[in-house]
Amino acid sequence: MMDAAHEPAARGAHAMPTACWSCRGAVAAGAPFCATCKAVQPPGGADHFARLGLARGFDLDTAELDRRYFALQRQLHPDRFVSKSGRERAIAQSQAASLNDAYETLSDPLSRAVYLLKLDGIAVEREDGATISDPELLMEAMEMRESLAEAMDAAAVDAVAARMERERRTTVERIAAAFRGGDADAAHKATLRLKYLVRLDDDIRARRAAMRARTAKGGP
Amino acid sequence: MAYSEKLLEHYENPRNVGSLDKNAQDVGTGLVGAPACGDVMKLQIRVNEQGVIEDAKFKTFGCGSAIASSSLATEWIKGKTLDEAEQIKNTQIAQQLALPPVKIHCSVLAEDAIKAAVADYRAKHARKDETAPQAAQ
Repeated sequence: MMDAAHEPAARGAHAMPTACWSCRGAVAAGAPFCATCKAVQPPGGADHFARLGLARGFDLDTAELDRRYFALQRQLHPDRFVSKSGRERAIAQSQAASLNDAYETLSDPLSRAVYLLKLDGIAVEREDGATISDPELLMEAMEMRESLAEAMDAAAVDAVAARMERERRTTVERIAAAFRGGDADAAHKATLRLKYLVRLDDDIRARRAAMRARTAKGGP
Repeated sequence: MAYSEKLLEHYENPRNVGSLDKNAQDVGTGLVGAPACGDVMKLQIRVNEQGVIEDAKFKTFGCGSAIASSSLATEWIKGKTLDEAEQIKNTQIAQQLALPPVKIHCSVLAEDAIKAAVADYRAKHARKDETAPQAAQ
């Protein structure tokens, strides 16, 4: 098992260290535990990559992400804090919540891309409801949703799903290449495309569930 | 969440669903998307020689509020001039359908779709005027 008390701080130390609330020793930004007194630290404003001790980037070793997340989660388990003060228990809880948030965001390619763009100052999911008008992207989205709407049987839905899966793979590759090359605009564009493909995937799932429900009822 | 009767009515019986020929000279097409929810909306208008919208059609893949917003939008713009149609604000659509705050962006999508359709129609005619031999102003 990795030593989570030291590792994440060492690799994700972008920001200034803070002082440990318990022993006043220096704690690297994002480190969940104090290296000196081992006390759990409040989550603070570290980015998700620093929190998990990973280098910031779209390319991510998911096995490594899992390993780090589960190791930290074990260290933050409430059972380990039953004898600690209320304050320390509360800190461990908020640290665990931030860790969950970081893991959820980074483990999914779409949310990871959206998050990386946000760190670059680009809002993919605008709160103000701003619309987009990229004709190529929207015509493709419209056409694929139409083909799903027109799919009359399971085989036709499978064909749409297979196409979606192919497009999703190439789009994730395109996003990775854009981030690697530092091309934020291209990453943004490809991320929007992935967003629409994921939405299509949701519709495919709903469609399949509806078809199953109909079959279960003994319908045609 | 409680939706208004008007909204449900437009959602269950959407008006003007369909397509117009996007290559026709008298048709303007607006295609817009809401990246936050992955919605996509196509709104088309057929405009007569007086600049009045004679017909409007839409196709929307999105939530009930987006479908109701585009249905209402097509209903409202029929019989209006291009200038009048452009004046329609999302707040009017949101108010009419009593959209809950989290669904206001659906009305923004409808407003932008109208604007995009009008702009597409105007762009087509600007191009036509440019290429016409006696169109110099």
